[in-house]
Amino acid sequence: MPQVAEKLKDMDVWVYHGQIYIPNTYSAGDVGSRFLIELRNNARIMGMRCPVCNRVYVPARSVCKDCFGQLKEWVEVSDKGTLLTYAIDNVAKPIQPTGTPIIYGIVQLDGADNGFVHMLGGVDAEQIRVGMRVQAVFKPREERTASILDIKHFKPL
Amino acid sequence: MAEETKKKAEKPKPEYIQVKFDMPRRYHWSTGKYLGKVYAEAKEHKKLVSNVCPQCKQIMWRPTVVCPYCKIEAGWEWAELAETGTVIQYTYLVFPLWDPHYGERFANPYPSAIIQLDNGVFQRHWLKETNKDKLKEGMRVRICWKEDYNERGLGLQDVPYYEPIEE
Repeated sequence: MPQVAEKLKDMDVWVYHGQIYIPNTYSAGDVGSRFLIELRNNARIMGMRCPVCNRVYVPARSVCKDCFGQLKEWVEVSDKGTLLTYAIDNVAKPIQPTGTPIIYGIVQLDGADNGFVHMLGGVDAEQIRVGMRVQAVFKPREERTASILDIKHFKPL
Repeated sequence: MAEETKKKAEKPKPEYIQVKFDMPRRYHWSTGKYLGKVYAEAKEHKKLVSNVCPQCKQIMWRPTVVCPYCKIEAGWEWAELAETGTVIQYTYLVFPLWDPHYGERFANPYPSAIIQLDNGVFQRHWLKETNKDKLKEGMRVRICWKEDYNERGLGLQDVPYYEPIEE
């Protein structure tokens, strides 16, 4: 071991910083495409109602998770909702859409029966409480690109 | 059922959204003692260096711990590689190449050549000259470095290509 320590004594520590670029593309499909197009064109959040269990899913999905039936009934839900839970992330990663701190929240929109995962913004992290009322903030029409990030964030009311 | 299919046929073709996102994964590794010297010299002084065997006095390239001919430890004696060299062979590449690390497209066409540097070291690298008629074996080339200090630090990737010179 002393020999190794001697060899490492005047070693220049040089760390190679590299990355692998992984592009991903998938088709949103029939239902997902219409959901994203409604976000882009009309700034509306659309859900899908199951006729058997009368549950409204947001974002829209084509099959009910319990009844396994094909869903066809589109409903518009409100852009206001209740915060069910949240998480604060202070570690910057290249995948994240915005800078840190980034606050993820699960919002139950009025008229929907499940949670909608998005980000919270325009608020200090200390002021966020579970159960607070929030509203979606849309980007201007020119910046919307039929993506889930057409909603900029949810702001507290 | 027949009516439903008829209705579907009359509808305009729906727009389908392609969701695109990038997931770059970063990695870091320590280059160690010998390769670290090469990377540091390339970044700080725009020089390619390699170590010399103390017995047969050959320049190793890339730097090695043990001389492959004498089988003894090559040691910490360093020599600078020549800036100019001669093209021994070249290949005219027209295949589109993508950089797997940053997702950018490499310039195309891009001639790849085996270059003998003036102190005897063989090196495979790209050439700046993209005109097929001006490429010939035995042409003289000189090393080109990235000018921006902050862009350097990736070892041999700090050298984008060798450019032809006239003597």
